[in-house]
Amino acid sequence: MSVEISASGEVADRLAAVGALRRLADRLEDAAVEEAMRSGWGWPQVAEALGVTRQAVYKKHAKRLIAAGVALRRRLG
Amino acid sequence: MSSFDHYLQRILIAAAAEARAEGSATTEAHHVLLAIAGDGSPSLAAAGLDHAAVAAALDREFARSLAAAGVRVDGGLPRATPLSDGSPQLGATAKAALERGFALVQRKRDCRPGHVLLGVLLAPVGTVPRALELAGVDRAGLAEDVRREIAGGGDDR
Repeated sequence: MSVEISASGEVADRLAAVGALRRLADRLEDAAVEEAMRSGWGWPQVAEALGVTRQAVYKKHAKRLIAAGVALRRRLG
Repeated sequence: MSSFDHYLQRILIAAAAEARAEGSATTEAHHVLLAIAGDGSPSLAAAGLDHAAVAAALDREFARSLAAAGVRVDGGLPRATPLSDGSPQLGATAKAALERGFALVQRKRDCRPGHVLLGVLLAPVGTVPRALELAGVDRAGLAEDVRREIAGGGDDR
């Protein structure tokens, strides 16, 4: 993945880019959090690495990862 | 429930499955379009838009929109395990598409499957029109086909 910021172009393209970047960020987050939890990270570390609260990361990912059979470390705090 | 209600329920369930598979927390208009294509629509099929073709068009739109911000995804995205159950909420673009489709009829009992598709196709801006444009689809012509299909009674599923 390569990134070069371009602020030019049609406004419709730039608006669409915002939506696409949000979707991309969500997909990257889902995959990265799953990978981290599968390799033994705890919720506090994942949360700090993402720059969000533990509650936020737990609420967003716990159900999916439990259903996916990921062995989660006990939630601390 | 009317046959239209059954159709709508089937499409929204399929659309929610598309959203889940994509890891999306909401069902959006492009998921509804994928669901309609997967369910089989004569007008979409006549335009060469089966499920795979719609999915390919949406992938291109995604890549194109990222490119507008200077982001290029090489070799695909990392995959996450999708949520296995639970229904994503109906998102803003899917709601708008349904409202647009329902607004085309006077009475609710006049709703046909084609109206759902029309609501999706007639979006003035957004992911669906961008994807169809990139795929070289004549959206106005396609919408006309859908209207003819509804008027001809070939849409009484």
